[in-house]
Amino acid sequence: MAVVAKLIDVSTCIGCKACEAACQEWNDNGFRISGFTGDYQTHETLAHDFWNLIQFNEVERPDGHVAWNMAKYQCMHCVDAGCMKACPAPGAIFRHENGTVDFDHDKCIGCGYCITGCPFDIPKLSPVTQKVYKCTLCSDRTSVGLEPACVKACPTNCLTFGARSDLVQIANARAETLRADGHEHAGVYNPQGVGGTNVLYVLPDASNPVQYGLPADPHISWTVSLWKGPLKWVGNLAFAGTIVGALFHYLRFGPKEEEKEGGDE
Amino acid sequence: MSRSLARFSFAERAAHWMAAISFIYAALTGLSLWSTHLYWLAAVLGGGPTVRWGHPWGGIVFAVVLGFIFLNWAGQMRLDADDRKWLAESHKYAMNEEEGLPEPGRFNAGQKMLFWVQSACALLLFASGFVLWWPAQMPRTLLSAAVLIHPATAIVAIAGILVHVYMGLLVVPGALHGMVRGEVSRGWAAAHHPKWLRETSKR
Repeated sequence: MAVVAKLIDVSTCIGCKACEAACQEWNDNGFRISGFTGDYQTHETLAHDFWNLIQFNEVERPDGHVAWNMAKYQCMHCVDAGCMKACPAPGAIFRHENGTVDFDHDKCIGCGYCITGCPFDIPKLSPVTQKVYKCTLCSDRTSVGLEPACVKACPTNCLTFGARSDLVQIANARAETLRADGHEHAGVYNPQGVGGTNVLYVLPDASNPVQYGLPADPHISWTVSLWKGPLKWVGNLAFAGTIVGALFHYLRFGPKEEEKEGGDE
Repeated sequence: MSRSLARFSFAERAAHWMAAISFIYAALTGLSLWSTHLYWLAAVLGGGPTVRWGHPWGGIVFAVVLGFIFLNWAGQMRLDADDRKWLAESHKYAMNEEEGLPEPGRFNAGQKMLFWVQSACALLLFASGFVLWWPAQMPRTLLSAAVLIHPATAIVAIAGILVHVYMGLLVVPGALHGMVRGEVSRGWAAAHHPKWLRETSKR
């Protein structure tokens, strides 16, 4: 099966939030009350029952005007997924054949290590179920040939779903068009720090992804890589070495003398 | 004169074994999440979610008991000149050739080192463990530090306890009885803690 992806063309997002509503509805997450922080964004950030957010990033342009960068924000389905790397429960976070990173909530133990592993701050722990939730790329829809709910709902074709290799070409072509239109820094966001992502963006100014609410150079924290890499070997060697060392010590030197004369003077 | 000597009070023994049980529980549940190859331990101990719930509480019990032990013993665990000499030549102790080593008091320098190492580890494990307990509430920088500090410290603590258990059970016959019943024979004290024997006999 081909690896699938979702393409988000930020230049055509109108901030209608149809994708948010579709996501809530399809995934049975329901209506969610948010706080009001003085902008048009529905929620401050993602939540265990809110997996898809249109960020309304207000950025001051060089000419002094304020630009409103609306950008969809959800799980990136990384090729090198930090959540999977950090997860201690076998099978709780797994990758579908089509590349989608998904959670099996029967196996999730709610430790939250994936929260630390994720460079995009996506997985959220439910205080009720003590399990972690995030966008599934609608794996229950894509597995039967449907597109994700957000893509289905998008009225401007800002969202596209399909084979990843096709979408990379479409994204590059769109960036080329934008450059020809005068967005000289237009480009594709497919960060290599996490091996690329299965959610791709076309950014009108790819020189600074932060203005769209995306990390400039995301990568799995070095502490997570050290913990799941070299430290594992250090630990295993320390445990095995201590046990084998004790065995050899006992065989070579044995126990100490239990009692000694001179205690009863 | 009685043949046996009081070595550990009831409070000392109770604290020691409370610490032992909570440490072993925390270590086994921790190891079950350390490697997927050890995840079967989680199944034995009640399943993944139970382990995730119980591990921090086991750690809390251990931290509280170790705090009590620390306050009780810290004064007796200071290393003196004899202890430093003992440590410098501790390979002789490991080879069961104690002749020429400074005579240990109530605790030998190895036991004192274990005390300080375990106390430092407990502090680090408690601080980093508290962060890991509440991942949804903690800043990411703290979480990133804690996922490294917690297992790295646990490796030191578990290796130290493995040595401690090996010595208490196998290398020093009679030591276990001392920690269980609180009594040792005078001959045992003469063999392992001669300075302590002299000091207690004087009183």
